[in-house]
Amino acid sequence: MRRLLPALALLLLAVAGPLLAPHPIDQPVTLPYGPAGTDGALLGGDQLGRDVLSRLLHGGRDLVLSSLAVAALVTAVAAVLGVAAALKPALGRFVERAAEVFMLLPAVLGILLVTLSWPDGGRLALMTAATALGAPYAVRFMTAAAAPVVSTGYVEAAVAGGERTWHLVLRDVLPNLRSTVLALFGLRFVAAVYVVATAAFLQIGPQPPAADWALMIRENGPGIILNPWAVLAPSIAVGLLAMTVNLAAHALAPKVDRT
Amino acid sequence: MAGTLTTPPPGALTRRSAALLASAAALLARRIALLTALLALVFAVVEALPGDAADATSERGDDAGDVARRRALLGLDQPVAVRFLRWMAGLPTGDLGMSARGEPVWRLLSGPLPNTLLLGGLALALTVLAALGLGCRAALRPGSTTDRVISASATAVLALPEFVIAVALVLVLALWAGVLPAATTAGPDGAPASWTMLVLPVLALAIPQIGWNARIVRGALADEAKAPHVAAAVLDGLPPRRILTHHLLPGALPAVAAGVATSTGMLLGGAVAVETIFNYPGVGALLAGAVADRDTPVIAGVVALTGAAITCVLLAADAIRAWAAGIRR
Repeated sequence: MRRLLPALALLLLAVAGPLLAPHPIDQPVTLPYGPAGTDGALLGGDQLGRDVLSRLLHGGRDLVLSSLAVAALVTAVAAVLGVAAALKPALGRFVERAAEVFMLLPAVLGILLVTLSWPDGGRLALMTAATALGAPYAVRFMTAAAAPVVSTGYVEAAVAGGERTWHLVLRDVLPNLRSTVLALFGLRFVAAVYVVATAAFLQIGPQPPAADWALMIRENGPGIILNPWAVLAPSIAVGLLAMTVNLAAHALAPKVDRT
Repeated sequence: MAGTLTTPPPGALTRRSAALLASAAALLARRIALLTALLALVFAVVEALPGDAADATSERGDDAGDVARRRALLGLDQPVAVRFLRWMAGLPTGDLGMSARGEPVWRLLSGPLPNTLLLGGLALALTVLAALGLGCRAALRPGSTTDRVISASATAVLALPEFVIAVALVLVLALWAGVLPAATTAGPDGAPASWTMLVLPVLALAIPQIGWNARIVRGALADEAKAPHVAAAVLDGLPPRRILTHHLLPGALPAVAAGVATSTGMLLGGAVAVETIFNYPGVGALLAGAVADRDTPVIAGVVALTGAAITCVLLAADAIRAWAAGIRR
């Protein structure tokens, strides 16, 4: 539990941050790349003179909520499909092949491909791509965890008794895998933060003038010498988020598989 | 078996090498089948989603006739099956199709791709060396301070996005300490002008993967240490280093090779973001332009070549696994 606290505190701060922001995020309050401490801007100004601290407090909500949604979707899909694959070996073999194919496609490139082929998809395209790219590994993870449960006597008895597959998956097997599902959710959240943040940095996702940590790093890069905080603060925020969430995920998942 | 006591009959050796060749061919065929499946998937995704390259590059004032003409020029008016077969047939010869602007994709890629492969290759080499070194040091004395420090820092860095590490490196080593250049300039041949420009991008890419693989090395060595032949070697009083190199590492290699193979994809994907930060003349800049133009054929070409590069590393991992299994027998 102690190792979950930093992540929970940071997630709470990212989601509630907009309430704490001292300035509006779309109005200049100081000079472009104004140094820290001038004009009431504690961390200085960004490329348009907007308050870096306020934008920092606004900039994590989207990343956190999108990542949570992707992680929840992947985990839900993997929980059902993974157990079904453990029950039906033919489906299991298909999932195994799919995971091997997806190994050849770096997540960042896959997201570029989907969001470009679907220009009007917006956030839906990004989240669909991130879910589809994460699912094969997650399903494989669940299948491996479900295999010992599936071969226990009561499940075999239920199979022999002619229970429907969905009933077997949801009622007989999954309730015994609660801790595995939680661990998988943690690992998928780590992966989703990485993918959503990297996509936003590549300008797929939030568009200006939205405040977003990864986008702030990209936008304020040219002024890194004038006001380092405009780049450093969001970098620290993304780095801390990735680290604390990873620490929490490793606390939930004692034996980690590649996500 | 009687054959083991007498000299091998003539032809046994060639039979053995023929079997080796057959298993190598089977591995190769399997990897090529997986790569083909990926290419089919890429094509299907581009096909199934709305919008095509002719729409994406349409400019203001283009009427429907202009778009239709460009569609015909790019071959987009052909049936799906014909286009898929044409695209797949072109791939082995290096023909990756036409970009939305009507340039051959291979010509667009021929300059930046070698630079990205150089960056990725160096990062992969550094990852393997550092992960093996750190993982072995940690495994030599399990539970020691060294082990705990290495394991904790490996866990801390493995989830960091590369662009965050890149920003930190630029600030500390380039802007504040001033020891390394923050941006890459291309020489007359299109390659980075100086090797010092490679240091920061390679580090930014390799650090998370070193963390990931050091954990794998450490874990695989710990698993291997439980094997009876290792306990026997310890009881024989062999020095720890010799046990590590001769008894632990060969058994741990397949797990390590699989870890490094997964890292290859992460390295090539992360390179896109890192190249943007360092203004590195690689595929990343080309992809950024392709994103702006919605130039799907270029992205599909990059995905195909990246998939081929990862397939090569996976084949090497297959070979290492087969070799380690051979030693076991």
